[in-house]
Amino acid sequence: MEYLVHIAVMACLYVILATSFNLLIGFAGLFALSHAAFYAFGAYTTAILSTQAGVPFPIPLLLGVVLTAGVGAIVALPALRIGGHYLVIVTLALQVIVLQVLINGGEFTGGPDGIAGIEKISLFGWRLSSPHTFLPMAIFGAVVCTAIAWRIARSPFGRALKAMRENEAAAQAIGKNIVLMKVIVFAFSAGLAAVAGSLLARYISYVGVDSFSIEETIYILAMVILGGTGNLWGSVVGAIILVLLPELLKFLALPPDIADKMRQVIYGLILIGILLVRPQGILGEHSTAPALARRARKDAHADEEIGTVNGTEPGEVTVSARGLAKSFGGIVAVRNFDIDLRAGTITGLIGPNGAGKTTAFNMLTGFLQPNAGTIELRGRSLVGLKPHQIVREGVARSFQDLKLFTKMTVIENVLVALPDQSGDSITSVFFRPGTVRREEEENFNRAVEILEFVNLADKAHELAENLSYAEEKLLVIARLLATGAEVLLFDEPLSGLDPATLEEIFPIVRRLARSGKTICIIEHNLDVIRGLCDVAVYLDEGHALATGTPDELVSDPELARRYFG
Amino acid sequence: MDLFLQLLLNGFVNGSHYALLGVGFGLIFGTTNIVHFAYGPVYAAGAYSAWTAAALLGFPLFLAGLTGVAAATVLGVASYLLLYRPFVRRDAPTFVVLIASLGLFILLENLIAILFGTDKKVVDGYSAGIHFIGPTFYTDIHIYQIASLMILGLALAAFLRLTNYGKAIQAMTDNADMARVIGIDTNKVSILVFAIGSAISAVPAVLILLRDGALPNMGFIAVFVAFLAVVVGGVGSILGAVLGGFLLGMVENVGMWQIPTEWQSTIAFIVLFFVLLVRPQGLFKGT
Amino acid sequence: MSEQLLAVERLSVGYGKKTVVHEVDLGLAEREILIVLGHNGAGKTTLMQAIFGLIRTQSGRVLYRGEPITGRKPADNVLGGIAYVPQGHGIFRSLTVRANLELGAFVVRDRSRLEEDMETVFEMFPILRERATQIGGTLSGGQQQMLAIGMALMHKPSVMILDEPSIGLAPNLVERVMRSIQTINREFGTAILMVEQNVRYGLPIAQRAAVLKTGRKVYDGPPEPLEDRVELMKLF
Repeated sequence: MEYLVHIAVMACLYVILATSFNLLIGFAGLFALSHAAFYAFGAYTTAILSTQAGVPFPIPLLLGVVLTAGVGAIVALPALRIGGHYLVIVTLALQVIVLQVLINGGEFTGGPDGIAGIEKISLFGWRLSSPHTFLPMAIFGAVVCTAIAWRIARSPFGRALKAMRENEAAAQAIGKNIVLMKVIVFAFSAGLAAVAGSLLARYISYVGVDSFSIEETIYILAMVILGGTGNLWGSVVGAIILVLLPELLKFLALPPDIADKMRQVIYGLILIGILLVRPQGILGEHSTAPALARRARKDAHADEEIGTVNGTEPGEVTVSARGLAKSFGGIVAVRNFDIDLRAGTITGLIGPNGAGKTTAFNMLTGFLQPNAGTIELRGRSLVGLKPHQIVREGVARSFQDLKLFTKMTVIENVLVALPDQSGDSITSVFFRPGTVRREEEENFNRAVEILEFVNLADKAHELAENLSYAEEKLLVIARLLATGAEVLLFDEPLSGLDPATLEEIFPIVRRLARSGKTICIIEHNLDVIRGLCDVAVYLDEGHALATGTPDELVSDPELARRYFG
Repeated sequence: MDLFLQLLLNGFVNGSHYALLGVGFGLIFGTTNIVHFAYGPVYAAGAYSAWTAAALLGFPLFLAGLTGVAAATVLGVASYLLLYRPFVRRDAPTFVVLIASLGLFILLENLIAILFGTDKKVVDGYSAGIHFIGPTFYTDIHIYQIASLMILGLALAAFLRLTNYGKAIQAMTDNADMARVIGIDTNKVSILVFAIGSAISAVPAVLILLRDGALPNMGFIAVFVAFLAVVVGGVGSILGAVLGGFLLGMVENVGMWQIPTEWQSTIAFIVLFFVLLVRPQGLFKGT
Repeated sequence: MSEQLLAVERLSVGYGKKTVVHEVDLGLAEREILIVLGHNGAGKTTLMQAIFGLIRTQSGRVLYRGEPITGRKPADNVLGGIAYVPQGHGIFRSLTVRANLELGAFVVRDRSRLEEDMETVFEMFPILRERATQIGGTLSGGQQQMLAIGMALMHKPSVMILDEPSIGLAPNLVERVMRSIQTINREFGTAILMVEQNVRYGLPIAQRAAVLKTGRKVYDGPPEPLEDRVELMKLF
């Protein structure tokens, strides 16, 4: 019985480790291999403070969390610059360094022997010295930590994390500060792992390096993968299964060291097996999505035409760029480019391949910095701002290759793009839950309205990757609309669509223009330019060669000649 | 000064060891883009097979070494065919393949421990000759470690340059899609690099067996330094892996001149940690 | 259709549930140059990749010398005499010009003719001879494109599929590249299937033209009517 309770305590600790690791790799898509090192940081902070300074619970735990979160934030620095394999090797190096420091730390860390005699937790005169007495503490810890992770995962911030995982450029293009998000999620993931470490130290009164090896990270990884990345309940399930499963080995009466190795062999087999058979894990990312039926509350937006820009005169110039220039390694992509975009007007940007159309968009939206020239939105300069700042100023863009958040639902794609969400701030998520919830309800309704506007409401809970070609394009429009920006730049929004579908989508874009939006479209299918645009700008060799109605430009023999090289 | 010379020599020897590990790992990684973590336990399996052949079956040392190479080659190719290929075929994301390789890593490492036990295995009756140049000393194993890098490195370079399959490997490392376009069977080439890379890893493994003995967890540090050498040197460059390995060996040993022994690896890793922060594309690439 | 060297019948291609190319028919006769035009995103590259076996088809079939080759591995297509020059300088950037050309002949078993074949390529593109020991990635864009075409020539194909060989090249180079494609067609009798945006230099060398619009064929016939650019614009 005592042993069963011990297993339950360990399951609680691993629930903390698995859910916090999932936050990092499953939600944020940051593949780091240093979780055991964070775990160790928490454990050793408690061990050292308790044995050497006699600091009572819970101060070492809290200090450990803060310290480890700080280390996590520092580890995020390489993640800002590099991704993929490089993050793997950098975090692996951190793991190795931490272990070596612990082994070589002499008296301070106890060296290879570790630190024994850590004081048990005493609460209200109770000393939590047996598994029975510690279990409530472990459950409490697991519940609190999982609740924190759950709160993050289910918040607008968590949704933004997933968007960043799916596509960093697109996340920036809807106004998310991905640098800050990476630092925060690393800090939280590390800090939560430190809680598990601290509890472990108190529970077994001992910490040693063997508990925090790379194999430990793989063990926790196996729990996350088994349960399903991007699903916190999956991690809870995965942790419990992988703590319980090896106990079956007890029936085989193997020698202890063999049993320990068998345990790890099983983890390896499970990891490989689940990836081959069910890569999404036992619970896939969306199998526990919240119930869909939220009451659609009638609110202020309802009567207003969607996308209405208040205080705009039709025809008024909103974006004005002068003398833009950009070259790449001596090759001039755009030179002396002037353009005025007007409210309520759909401007087409046409020209041969390589004329610099997308480069122009990239400069207007901060994805590239111009070598020269000015860009103003209603007189405010946009030059030098980051993409996410320009979106907040009111200029948003879509991408040629769509960059939808494919593993998120249609409505999530729209929700994540809505502006000014207090839930994007981690402090609001925890300290202003009421505001965040209220806003979420409003945002949900708003997102439904936007989806209705583009005729996608019936697909709201479909994954974006399951949409048809035409529906994907509609979702791009919806996501861009959701940013609330008054200037919408579409990079080939309708390419590959057949004429019948185009006729269905045109009215949507026209209505947007009528409501006061400033719209600019790059398109190679000239049917789209002819059918949609009020005015067209012909770009050739990085320069605006002519401006006129689409029909004028398209039937100009000289421009036609240039169009085909 | 004597100490410094000794450290320099040690750095060179260990650098050769790391460089050879890096060459094998880098060949696989650069060509297939698979982070083959199980390279570590495959390396360990090479050492254990050689030990089995020498200590249990009484093979002469050279033959035992070849047994180790053969075993590692078979295991390496099997890990590609049985584990990685199904993922490659279904275009699985790279991190899925990486996780699978971690699974294989922990699986193989512990199987070795179960089969052979966790005590250190040494080849009895072998003792390496010790030689002196002035005050600095070196052993036969040190010679073998340097020589194996030179021989295998040159042989690999010749293979890559002169043979058709070598050129196919270079082509696939450069651009796998283009390799398919000109008619290269990328699956065959992948099998080949797993075979060569694993065979190469067994050589330093056997030498470490003779020098320090074998432990089941010897693979982790091997794959870690190999990965580090490759990333520091620049992915896709064999010469880069060699230079990365030498840099690692040198920083580690020369650092010991001023720093206590037990911190040597830590210092080296911290240095490389910052190198990666500043130059993620690798030191010797893309200048 | 039986005398066609390469034929595509009601071919549909796409990714996942999405279809990019819809039931396209296309035929290429021996020694013919066929140019495929169309706006960006019309499905031209997708169609070429599917013909060569780089991506899977959804329905329809591809015939080569009357035999179905739908979904055959690129390696087998190269062996069978089909060459593919992908968009954007399909070369190995880290290898020398010579090594690139040798790799172009990767499937050729008979190595004795290697030097001779390379000589043929050098005669066509003398600049490559001068740069033979230079690393591919350091060549100019035009030289890289010549090298890419040279690589395809190395295995003496009956059909050469080119995906926008002029992309990113200055006008004088476009003309140069088009002329060499014409020479290949005349001297070696290689049939050419070419996707091209540069109508000015591409169209004159073609014997037949096809235009794709949003994944469907909207024109297939002689190139001359398309010389009227305003008319051509209507097909874009």
